[in-house]
Amino acid sequence: MLFGRNKKNPIKIADKGIVKWNYSTCGYCSTGCAIEIGTNKDGKPVGARGVADADVNRGKLCVKGIFEHEVFESTGRGTTPLMRNNIQDEYQEAQWDDALGTMASEIKRIQDTYGRDAFAIVSTGQILTEGFYTLGKLARGVIGTNNYDGNTTLCMASAVSGYKRSFGSDGPPGCYEDFEHTNCLIAWGSNLPEQHPIIYWRFKEAQEKRHFPLIVIDPRVTMLAQNADMHLAITPGTDVVLMNALMHVILDEGLEDQDYIKANTNGFEALSAEVRNYDPTTAAGICGIDEDTIRHVARLYANAGVAMNIWTMGINQSTHGSDGVVGINNLSLLTGNVGKKGGTSLSITGQCNAMGTREWSSCSGLPGYRLLENAQDREDIGKYWGVDPEFFPKTRGLTQTDIFPAIETGKIKGLWLVGTNPMTSMPNTARIRKTLEKLELCVVQDSYLDVETTEYAHIYLPTAIWAEKEGVFTNTERRVNIIRKVKEPYAQSKTDLHIFNGLAKQFEQGRKMTFSDNFDEVFDEMRELSKGRLVDISGMTHDLIEQHRGIQWPYTEEQANKGEAPVQGGKRLYTEDATFRFADGKAKLIPLPFIDNNERPDPEYPFWLNSGRLVEHFHSRTRTGKIGNNNKYSPTPFMEINPDAAMEQGIQHQSYVRLVSRRGDAVVMAMLTHRVPRNMVFIPFHFFDCVNRLTLGLLDPYSRQPAFKQSAVRIESVNQAEAAQLNKESRTF
Amino acid sequence: MIEVNKDEQKYAFLWDKESQQKNRYGDNIELTQEDNALRNISLNINGDLGIGENPNRYKQHGFYLNADNCIGCHACEAACSEKNDNPAHIAFRSVGYVEGGTYPDYQRINISMACNHCDDPVCLTGCPTRAYTKFAEYGAVLQDPDICFGCGYCTWVCPYNAPQLDPVKGEVTKCNMCVDRLEVGLKPSCVAACLGNALDFGVIENVPENREQSQAEIPGFPTTEITHPNIRFQQTKGSHHEMTRTDSMPVKYHREDTQKPFKPVVDEKSGRKKYWNFKALLTSHESAHVIFTLFTQATVGAFLILILAPLIAPETFLLFQDVSVYPPILIIIFVISTVGLYKLNMHLGKPHRFYRGFNNLRLSPVSREIAGVSMFYTGLLGAMMASWFEHEIAQVLFYCFAALGCLSGVIGLYYMYKLYRIPARPFWDHKQTGTAFLGTTLSFGGLILLIACLSLIPWPVLATQQLIPVLFGIIGLGLMIEGLGHILHAHDMKAATNEGAASYYQQVTQYGKSYILRNILLALNLALVVTLTFTEITSILDPAFILIIILVIGMLVMGLFGRSLFFVLVIPTTMPGAFFWKNQGFVDHARETGLAEMQQVGVVYERHHAFKVDELWQTIKENSLKDMFKHVVWILGGK
Repeated sequence: MLFGRNKKNPIKIADKGIVKWNYSTCGYCSTGCAIEIGTNKDGKPVGARGVADADVNRGKLCVKGIFEHEVFESTGRGTTPLMRNNIQDEYQEAQWDDALGTMASEIKRIQDTYGRDAFAIVSTGQILTEGFYTLGKLARGVIGTNNYDGNTTLCMASAVSGYKRSFGSDGPPGCYEDFEHTNCLIAWGSNLPEQHPIIYWRFKEAQEKRHFPLIVIDPRVTMLAQNADMHLAITPGTDVVLMNALMHVILDEGLEDQDYIKANTNGFEALSAEVRNYDPTTAAGICGIDEDTIRHVARLYANAGVAMNIWTMGINQSTHGSDGVVGINNLSLLTGNVGKKGGTSLSITGQCNAMGTREWSSCSGLPGYRLLENAQDREDIGKYWGVDPEFFPKTRGLTQTDIFPAIETGKIKGLWLVGTNPMTSMPNTARIRKTLEKLELCVVQDSYLDVETTEYAHIYLPTAIWAEKEGVFTNTERRVNIIRKVKEPYAQSKTDLHIFNGLAKQFEQGRKMTFSDNFDEVFDEMRELSKGRLVDISGMTHDLIEQHRGIQWPYTEEQANKGEAPVQGGKRLYTEDATFRFADGKAKLIPLPFIDNNERPDPEYPFWLNSGRLVEHFHSRTRTGKIGNNNKYSPTPFMEINPDAAMEQGIQHQSYVRLVSRRGDAVVMAMLTHRVPRNMVFIPFHFFDCVNRLTLGLLDPYSRQPAFKQSAVRIESVNQAEAAQLNKESRTF
Repeated sequence: MIEVNKDEQKYAFLWDKESQQKNRYGDNIELTQEDNALRNISLNINGDLGIGENPNRYKQHGFYLNADNCIGCHACEAACSEKNDNPAHIAFRSVGYVEGGTYPDYQRINISMACNHCDDPVCLTGCPTRAYTKFAEYGAVLQDPDICFGCGYCTWVCPYNAPQLDPVKGEVTKCNMCVDRLEVGLKPSCVAACLGNALDFGVIENVPENREQSQAEIPGFPTTEITHPNIRFQQTKGSHHEMTRTDSMPVKYHREDTQKPFKPVVDEKSGRKKYWNFKALLTSHESAHVIFTLFTQATVGAFLILILAPLIAPETFLLFQDVSVYPPILIIIFVISTVGLYKLNMHLGKPHRFYRGFNNLRLSPVSREIAGVSMFYTGLLGAMMASWFEHEIAQVLFYCFAALGCLSGVIGLYYMYKLYRIPARPFWDHKQTGTAFLGTTLSFGGLILLIACLSLIPWPVLATQQLIPVLFGIIGLGLMIEGLGHILHAHDMKAATNEGAASYYQQVTQYGKSYILRNILLALNLALVVTLTFTEITSILDPAFILIIILVIGMLVMGLFGRSLFFVLVIPTTMPGAFFWKNQGFVDHARETGLAEMQQVGVVYERHHAFKVDELWQTIKENSLKDMFKHVVWILGGK
């Protein structure tokens, strides 16, 4: 059935009039996709596309990246600095100089009155590395507080801690190319299709070329779990037991790589003594995975030749987060799967520049993976910056999750929040609210004025977003990639780099040091400081990075001088024997006794509360919640509940319920699905005044990361009309 | 031609080397022969006169979904909306899902679906404005939003929910197959964006590299018999015997064994409780259709009786030949008919483009209905005017107009019936639609005349005539035909193995009390007319006269409820939605609670559109009489 085209109008297909494609790196997750933002003749960003010749994403983007050009003009952007004396007062517009002047004098007043550490800084994983480096210089070298941390404590701290404990340094040793070589992949608490869709695609491409088994360990039947060759639906919080049991089988059956262990590790005896306690029968009773499956997976993994482990928040956000990472590292070390093609222990990171903050922000130490605890590191950095090394603390101060309790009890009086939204992202919202009310000075530096934390701020500093700035990010596979400026900062907002430099100039010490507004010069400082370090980026320049669509570190000045071009991908760490970062070059095998300290379901609170991401949203929705073509897939909070449990509780599909925990309550819409077990509910973490009103967030002893995914709740019925009203009022975006 | 990125990856390019001659339905894949006049013409995309060099330019193309691989990541939907610059509430492609099994043996099958560029595009044949074209190039079914006047009929007939009616713009838009990309050898944007390696595209019946199957069915996908859709699936992973939908549709999919295809069955999502549901019933967007269909059927019925009955039985209908009676009755009929037409026209997205409704007379039952009803209206108007003059010419004119009205009224009603016989809407696709419409024509036609007579003629005069009992008889006949249809319809829908069964479930639960009221009223009205036919009422003070008043009220309530149920209960054979997106339950909720006020929720309110006199005037000014004549020739099949 064909129809002629007599008198048809021309076919109209949307033409956005893009005249220029601007190279950048996506500002959402840590995958590190190279993205091009299309601008029209007026310079307005109107389109986005993946960079076709970039090794990471090879032209692809996820649902968030595809609409990232819409973030520039989205609602709720801050236009001008704001100040007020009291959080009950209305904000008054201010000039930048006044705002930074007041901020500096308040910081000095607090530090003079209560001590240097009474002022705390909590930063982010979102800003550019040049910004992080400068903030670190300001915090460590000028303000001099030791209570300085990033919100990466909520996502990657356990990975950092675990890598440091096992390998002697942070730094994920693997890369995406490992999918092309591996013979077995275990994904621990990682839901790639939802959280890192492009990494999922890289995995899928590899698996379609050459099938290798995928084993997914997750209490929820995610798409990855559903597509896995084996899905181990584990009891929440018991991963370490499963790891110990797998190691038990490997050692019991002699499947370990003895040569590798001898050449590369210490602590084998202690580890094997500990795992002897975790025979599969005993372990099955704790972790909920039957003993045959444990043996089967252990053999499959150990006999694979090369096998890789990846993990995300299912491991990190746990009271055994750091131990979980160490456990994965133990498994990898026992089987010789570190630094090999297809054999690795790869943390799949969270934020776009979580790696940048780990490397360069000095949050947990000094730049370039240097430690406060190391006198030489203090000396080197002090000299380079022009700071008396004695000015630096000799141990690391409080983490984000310990800073808030210190505010609560009056030890800390001033707080500077940089690009982070604890009102949505920290566990136990009620406690955070009360805590923030106690501050004498709260500064919120954020691109969005409607971020909930501004309710408690005295000074608000509007910042440029992502591609209104220029600088670099580092991704999960240690690839440094560049963000080019697509347009000028919105209204009177400034880049983080300019704000940090402006504040530094308010201090006498700051005026003595170099604080450059030129991002190339800042990068040069980082290059210089990276020489000879694990994180050696001395061969890179901003232009070279763009030319290669991102370069994995290490890439040294020596390589560059020899004319050795950076590899396209596939760069790994610890590829040679005994090159780990402890003094003897050997990694540590660390025994992991298991203590069950989670808040478990009981008759009063009979459901596990699990939380996690949705592919269409990023973090606290300040960006994706305003972009209709992202937000529409989940515009209001919901919970997954098993239909059998729902029937018993009288809960209807798509009706509202109220969840109650020992901390508070939250109203959500019920989605009945067998994706979750009968004793668990799952709620996305993106929504304000929702899941974190309920969470306990027990802290990991090493990383101080909260266990977001293990709390207990009960379900109450709620008046549907009132709940709908409440739900609507809670959503301004 | 659009520019191809120099570094474009292999996955973005079309791959077909060879293709088959015929598709599975027996249609040619090569859509035109070498020398066909439709070849070697520019697609004229945004005024670009170039002709693409795609070697398969004249072959039918289609999408391919490997359901084993779809992860529901929305990248295809996003890429489509980014390319086509669509606001949040419009999507040419959507991903929904069905799920089955028990934890942890749980399975979700995501289904990404856009337009299937069918061999038999029912959107094209249904559209009254001829906004659709099936192109010889790629077999793409494209729609021109500028021609569309926003009636939404294509959204009714499409089994896949491909055309999208935008309540804001008042027009339909849809997937354009990214023909601009095909012209330069690139796959459509959605396919190039796929992150699960699930979506593909090529010459139809070609199986992509690394794929083994080429099925035309998957759980949740409607029968291919309606339109011969150009989409193929792979699903090698087994699925459970029962797959449910997360959206509010009371439908799930069941199969008896793994060899048999899935069939839609009722999913009693909201239990068995019965409700009135007045608000949803009486304030739906379709209430314009409720009024239009009822009023038009009633007025055509009344007109036919008024004109034809005296010719058949002059004695009985003596009063209808009285010059003091029939001219005022014609005015009453005219007023009612005008209200009906007004409601219909003003529900359009572009009410001032009403004249485009005739464009597709050759194919569309909607065009034919509009033409029939318009000609009826013309006949009615003419007859009404002529009836006021006694001159001979006026009398001749009266009969000419009356004949026109009668003939075109019948044609209009026939196509009104035909247009609701939509295979993708099983609740309507039943003879009952015909019995209900015919029944209404008789019963409400009779009712109009009854009320008119009661108000125009003193009762003592009426009481001496046979007219009133005969009108009761006509009303009774109409009610019987309608009632019989309802009984058969209920019987068939209850036993249906399609969405009709789900409609029936809604009928007896969500609208259960309203449905019972309608049935009781139907029976009561029938009993009343039977009683009245054989009751002698001598005066309006006679207590029996009150029965007539009860009948009038009973008929009106029954008519309103009955026809509203007809519209509100229909469940199309659409694809499964997701929990929020493409879930009518959430759309209703967002509108009710005000969440829809935020644009980023992706739900907008239904709205009315202005009759833009200036735009209409502009068109009239810009087109000569010759243009208009040419347009009429074009409507009738000319070039």
